[in-house]
Amino acid sequence: MPELRKDPLIGRWVIIATERAKRPVDFVASHDESLPADECPFCEGREAHTQKEILTVRSDGSGPNQPGWKVRVIPSIKPVLRIEGQLNRRGKGMFDLMDGVGAHELIIESPHHISNAADLPQEQLHASLHAAIQRMTDLERDLRFRYVLWFKNYGSTAGAGRVQHTRSQLIATPVIPLRVKEELAGARHYFEDKERCLVCDLLIQEREAKTRIVFESTHIIALCPFAGRFPFELWIVPKRHRCDFNKMQPEELTDLSYVMKQILVRLKAVLNDPPYNAILHTAPFRHPGTRVGHWRTLEDDYHWHIELIPRLTRVAGFEWGSGFYINPTPPEESAKYLREAVVEAEVAAAH
Amino acid sequence: MSELRRDPVIGRWNIIDTDEPAGPSAFEVEHHALGGGKCPFCYGNESLTPPEIYVLRPPQSPPNSSGWTLRVVSNKFPALKIEGELDRRGLGVFDLCNGVGAHEVIVETPDHQRQMADLTHEELVNVIRAFKGRSLDLRGDKRLKYSLIFKNFGLSAGASLEHTHSQLIALPIVPKRVQEELKGAQRYFEFRERCAYCDMLSQDVQEDERVVCENRSFVAICPFMSNFPFETWILPKEHGADFAQIGPEAITDFARILKETLLRLRVTLSNPAYNFIIHTAPIEPRVWEAYHWHMELMPKLTKIAGFEWGTGFYINPTPPELAAKLLREARLPL
Repeated sequence: MPELRKDPLIGRWVIIATERAKRPVDFVASHDESLPADECPFCEGREAHTQKEILTVRSDGSGPNQPGWKVRVIPSIKPVLRIEGQLNRRGKGMFDLMDGVGAHELIIESPHHISNAADLPQEQLHASLHAAIQRMTDLERDLRFRYVLWFKNYGSTAGAGRVQHTRSQLIATPVIPLRVKEELAGARHYFEDKERCLVCDLLIQEREAKTRIVFESTHIIALCPFAGRFPFELWIVPKRHRCDFNKMQPEELTDLSYVMKQILVRLKAVLNDPPYNAILHTAPFRHPGTRVGHWRTLEDDYHWHIELIPRLTRVAGFEWGSGFYINPTPPEESAKYLREAVVEAEVAAAH
Repeated sequence: MSELRRDPVIGRWNIIDTDEPAGPSAFEVEHHALGGGKCPFCYGNESLTPPEIYVLRPPQSPPNSSGWTLRVVSNKFPALKIEGELDRRGLGVFDLCNGVGAHEVIVETPDHQRQMADLTHEELVNVIRAFKGRSLDLRGDKRLKYSLIFKNFGLSAGASLEHTHSQLIALPIVPKRVQEELKGAQRYFEFRERCAYCDMLSQDVQEDERVVCENRSFVAICPFMSNFPFETWILPKEHGADFAQIGPEAITDFARILKETLLRLRVTLSNPAYNFIIHTAPIEPRVWEAYHWHMELMPKLTKIAGFEWGTGFYINPTPPELAAKLLREARLPL
């Protein structure tokens, strides 16, 4: 019998096909035509092909927009939102609109032409995540912005486009996106009832059950969520309760880059280099004067985490119409495959 | 400067690229070749599907034999099953229930060669009657709360069989997306005592920038806050929450506008993969004065990336005013 499972955070139901469960071999990874490596604008030595850098990690004393960097943050080459101007909120009849003001930045995670972040040394992952924290902290100072989204698209079906070079992205928006609002409302609702954080409770339950845990380190846990929408969907969650990703402590960041490496290598091994999206879920900016009403308990009720979605199935009409997903692989099965992919993961971690 | 536009019903903001609007040539289009193999929806292969639930066939022809003009069967690989109890239960912080529901396939024609856009007016009228008939029939089952009618055309839109068909899934819960829409419509109604969709129709018809086509009972528009390029909605002019209450005259007009819209999308976008979904009020509770049923058609042109997943905030590279203009100007085969 298939099961319907409810996401406790936002109340979304998912169909889990427990009987005709799909195995990794049932999914075929696809990678479209890409830009040749010698035309890649993100490689070391081609700094002039992009806009001027916003932030770089350099250790050899080289000058800005020159080779010699480890991680480089630049404005997006195809920004959807522009940093200049005011929001100009307005109505048009019954509709509401505002100008597309925001920030769109790329974090180039390696000077070398590597496409999958799974192939980066842990040190590069650490430097890239650290750069994200610095940029988020800086963008928070801009009072026009309400939220910043950190995410990563790998592979053409995941929306990476023709440039293959590994990067993550930051988009700061002048509104709090709907999906984030729903999650915040779900977390607040649970807290009002129990005076405990839902994600903290969930971690206790999952660590006892063990069936959905993929990997655990001192500060971070990776698990396949109970009501996962997609096969092999993963959550990477800090054990210590905190609502803001960018307030993480140094030891947590080191541990996070270790767990990210572990998880990316396991996904690559188990699913034969699948396209994927990684998305950070963190608290919105709380500018002075806006911390009223439902923001009161946010620091106690919300718990940041990263969602990782391998792109294996196609989202069809049913999912669009209902916001209700059919997941052909029970999360317990997904977790088991990823947990048991020890050999390759250890080999890669030893590099 | 691009624009952020807000959905007046569910409150979602989208980014519309008004700077460098993408026209039809900006998108890669999937090629729909007809493959070989034995098709379970063709004449002579009726035994390859579960038995028919609803059928149009000449009198005296035996069930599950050839000769039919439209056939509804259970999905051979159902997402949900009709037998059994719901058994709602908890598991620590989690909630779950059994996957009880119905999953049916509407085979629109025995002809394997034609797409939905190629169906005759009579065939399309029969398809819409089947949608209505099956929705009403499933209301007898008290476990079911919502019927979702949809179509996936083309591999990238999730179709696994090429023979033209639509699907119906009846669910034991009201899905989240529908709840959001109902709630949003209710909020709008409470404040203004008017329907959000009726307001949208009158503003769009008046501004005449986003209308694709129109007939006696329906208007097709590219909505102001479209999530996707060339997204098109077909709305009935007469306010009503429940698709299954559609009358005979409206069925005829719906068949006409659906065919015209599908043809316009096909000509403008070189036969794209697409999904359509009928948004209607739940079976229970029945009264939704604020809701207005409609069909949403989405050609599959862009890929959903991390930003969209993370935010539920879509980046639409084609302003709906441009999409509507191109669809309106498409030269249709006569």
